[in-house]
Amino acid sequence: MKCRNHQFGEIEYTNEHVFDFPDGIIGFEHLHKFIVLNDAETDPFRWLVSVEDEEFSLPILDPKFVEPLYEVTNSFEQGLTVAVVVSLKEPIESSTVNLRSPLLFDPNKHTGKQVVLENDRFPILHKFIAEPQLVAGEESC
Amino acid sequence: MLILSRKINEAIQIGENIRLKVLHVSEGQVKIGIEAPGDVKIYRAEIYAEIEKQNLLAAQAKKSAAAKAAGLLPKPAAQTKVNDA
Repeated sequence: MKCRNHQFGEIEYTNEHVFDFPDGIIGFEHLHKFIVLNDAETDPFRWLVSVEDEEFSLPILDPKFVEPLYEVTNSFEQGLTVAVVVSLKEPIESSTVNLRSPLLFDPNKHTGKQVVLENDRFPILHKFIAEPQLVAGEESC
Repeated sequence: MLILSRKINEAIQIGENIRLKVLHVSEGQVKIGIEAPGDVKIYRAEIYAEIEKQNLLAAQAKKSAAAKAAGLLPKPAAQTKVNDA
């Protein structure tokens, strides 16, 4: 099968690549069928791409790159792949990942969902790029 | 907006399957118990709104910005202290 994406052009995929999100993701509840795209240019960032809406692509990241102690699957079923949603901002150092509501993929059932963790130890806005320099006396947050 | 007054241990029934009960009130904080079917999603409203905002923002991302951020990512740290958390 083929779909188009505004950033990646024409994409060929099979049913096995498709993850079904019965509830969509928060803010995009109307979208249900996604594929995960690797892109050499942006690796290790990957892209959650909708096969239903060619305007939709969302950068995601394996949380090990930003939070080695992040353990989500223990509190849920095992065997799921975890990814966090990346909000790229300007300046780039102010970009954040959302550790509070990761995406969980079930590679066996080809399903996925965005969950909201009860544990508020994991922030929605987690900066993951070191600031170039902090001015002396400035509070870090 | 419908506004109802409730005392402690009184509840509000929404539809057939959802019940909100006031459990505790003190110093400007209310504890609410919620009974609802498992498929009903329940969020703290401000958390939901912030997640929605970040998802909408994330979906604007350009490849070029991701490539730039990829170059600035810290290397994954060795997991030496996982069990100490």
